[in-house]
Amino acid sequence: MWWRSPSFILDKQQSDTVPHQRNPRDTLPLPSPPPFSMADTLQNPNPENNISAYYQTRAAHHAVVTGDWLAQAQAAIGRDPDDSTDTTVATVAGKPFSVIDEFNSWRKQPELAEAVAAIRALAAVIRNCQATTMMELEIELKKSSDSLKSGDTTSISLTAGCDLFMRYVTRTSALEYEDFDSAKSRLIERAEKFGEISCKARRIIAMLSQDFIFDGCTILVHGFSRVVFEVLKTAAQSKKLFRVFCTEGRPDRSGLRLSNELAKLDVPVKLLIDSAVAYTMDEVDMVFVGADGVVESGGIINMMGTFQIALVAHSMNKPVYVAAESYKFARLYPLDQKDMVPALCPIDFGVPIPSKVEVETSARDYTPPQYLTLLFTDLGVLTPSVVSDELIQLYL
Amino acid sequence: MPGTQTLVNELVTKLKKRRVEGSQETALLTAELLRSVISQLKVPPTNQAETLIEAVKTVGELLVAANPVELAVGNIVRRVLHIIRDEDFSVATSSAGGDDRETAEENGFRVQTVAAGPPSRSPSLHAILDRTPDSERAHHSSRDGDSFEGKGKSADRNAESWKLKHDVIRAVNELIEDINSCHEQIAEQSVELIHQNEILLTFGRSRTVREFLCAAKEKRRSFRVFVAEGAPKYQGHALAKDLGARGLQTTVITDSAVFAMISRVNKVVVGVHAVMANGGVIGPVGLNMVALAARKHAVPFVVVAGPHKLCPLYPQNPQVLLNEMRCPSELLQDGEFSDCMGVCNGSGNPLLNVVNPAFDYVPPELVSLFITDIGGYNPSFVHRLIADYYSADDLDLQKRTTS
Repeated sequence: MWWRSPSFILDKQQSDTVPHQRNPRDTLPLPSPPPFSMADTLQNPNPENNISAYYQTRAAHHAVVTGDWLAQAQAAIGRDPDDSTDTTVATVAGKPFSVIDEFNSWRKQPELAEAVAAIRALAAVIRNCQATTMMELEIELKKSSDSLKSGDTTSISLTAGCDLFMRYVTRTSALEYEDFDSAKSRLIERAEKFGEISCKARRIIAMLSQDFIFDGCTILVHGFSRVVFEVLKTAAQSKKLFRVFCTEGRPDRSGLRLSNELAKLDVPVKLLIDSAVAYTMDEVDMVFVGADGVVESGGIINMMGTFQIALVAHSMNKPVYVAAESYKFARLYPLDQKDMVPALCPIDFGVPIPSKVEVETSARDYTPPQYLTLLFTDLGVLTPSVVSDELIQLYL
Repeated sequence: MPGTQTLVNELVTKLKKRRVEGSQETALLTAELLRSVISQLKVPPTNQAETLIEAVKTVGELLVAANPVELAVGNIVRRVLHIIRDEDFSVATSSAGGDDRETAEENGFRVQTVAAGPPSRSPSLHAILDRTPDSERAHHSSRDGDSFEGKGKSADRNAESWKLKHDVIRAVNELIEDINSCHEQIAEQSVELIHQNEILLTFGRSRTVREFLCAAKEKRRSFRVFVAEGAPKYQGHALAKDLGARGLQTTVITDSAVFAMISRVNKVVVGVHAVMANGGVIGPVGLNMVALAARKHAVPFVVVAGPHKLCPLYPQNPQVLLNEMRCPSELLQDGEFSDCMGVCNGSGNPLLNVVNPAFDYVPPELVSLFITDIGGYNPSFVHRLIADYYSADDLDLQKRTTS
């Protein structure tokens, strides 16, 4: 499309009219993401810039927090008193129930995955809704689900989680009851159960992958994935001897946080810059990555750099294992890297970049299924070809 | 059960001393043993499926421990467990449909068990909320039993318990039939695969491959076969003699010559020891070489395997990683190395080592097609067969007291 045409000169002239937003950030020597307060990021104030709120939140949770950033964050909170009061008001009784607020309150916990927060929020919608018929309830659910999804169009697991929730909870077998209240309670039961299962998914995945980690192995991980961390934590706690190579994971440098956590568990960790992956690949026995979304072809969408690592691993015959919960299965089929909703995340290079120089700010990439060996999900250990099978059965 | 105990011990000894050769033999013996265990087991009126499963698991653990390298044992044990779960479920559904609904609560219980969904299906995205764990199912079936006895239907219940055992034994008989007849079923598909004037390559000696090739010969296809001899046992020689006796034009080559001859070959057809859940295969040592050579020259690599060879484990699983190291004397002619075998270096380690592994792993990317008794499949489809034949709960044969 327009990305590949030589008319980038024209495009450049157009985008030159909107660069002033970037300049103040470029000149500040910040090593980490820009100083949005938490409330700001969650409302996604820059939909036209496609700055991905999902990646901002992840960075906020897991990236390196420096003194500068903290000061900026404090200043930002001081600047917007309305935002901070907004989040407290949500808990006051009498305010109309807002699914976004519920979602935000769940999302504050860094341990909880975004899709699980959305599922819990939607379950709360069912509980609090005032509808008296099934159709009304369904319409209200659909509305809430749409508003959650539109809050951040770049997050795949959020969209997939909401869609799956709608599928599970409103399947016709649950609606064969005469009386609305029992149907509603059954729906609530199913919704809570789905929330439970999603929460426990990480434990199940950790149990399944224990067999694949043997004593004396070297594991390469990329960025900070909570599922992969759970896997490694379980292995370390069962006294397995292994070492981990951890990539830095620019631009949010979440790999540094992961290496901290692993060092606390007494696991030998070696930190690599992203470019050193090929250099160290022959010492590696297996690659473990998480996923932001698992697409229909069996490939994954994950933090920028995953595709590179998978290519190198494949060319050196090292297995690439993906740990992903089942609610991340999405009905997408990207044919190449540019085929997804762009999710941009501003990169700070530490020095001011002249405005004539373009920066590739995409936060994620797509890894095709032929470079992946196995997926560990709460449905079991799957090969990439099983994913489309599962999705078809669900949506048929 | 003194009778079954002696049978079990007998089979365990046979497996330990490796007196049973070949996966089909082992599979048949295991299936027959499990059938006698089940038929001689006294089942209580409640929780019958649980008792059967426990008993089979205990025996299965012993058998697998006796010969961990023979994966067919574990496969058959898991098949039988899956059969028990399946039959239990269908007995529950048929009785729910057949009985007249007397009381609402009974009805309620029944609806619960049915809504639990078929336990035989491995966990799947669309059934994720319908799954009930083992403990809940047991609770339901025990509640059913209590409500029944309360209503004085004990005779009906006994009939049901007999029905379950009967169904399970019938299904195990079918399984034994399937294993026995797999060669014929596979051989029927040879006509579609082998064309006129083709040259095939095979490795070592596999009964399935022999039947496969002979069936095509019966249908008047004329083709040639290269047989790689399969050191160190040289079983390829025996296969070549067999094929020659049946009128096929056969050529014997060494394993090292496979790469040199592969460009003249149209297809490679081999039999294997086991098929793994990811589509990879475990075969006689040297098979990986043949597969790599075939991939290099774009020659289709076809694997023929009976249903008892399908294993639900992944190759990284420690149970599977075992490679049997056979006796080194198979490699050495008499007295060849006797002068230098005893020589040790300073720290007492012998300077000359002879290693004789029995198996080889071929990754799924190198396999083009699997021919099973139910048809031809892609390696990426193996997971579907596994989901049909095995339950996810049985992958770990150790009895878990707490789930």
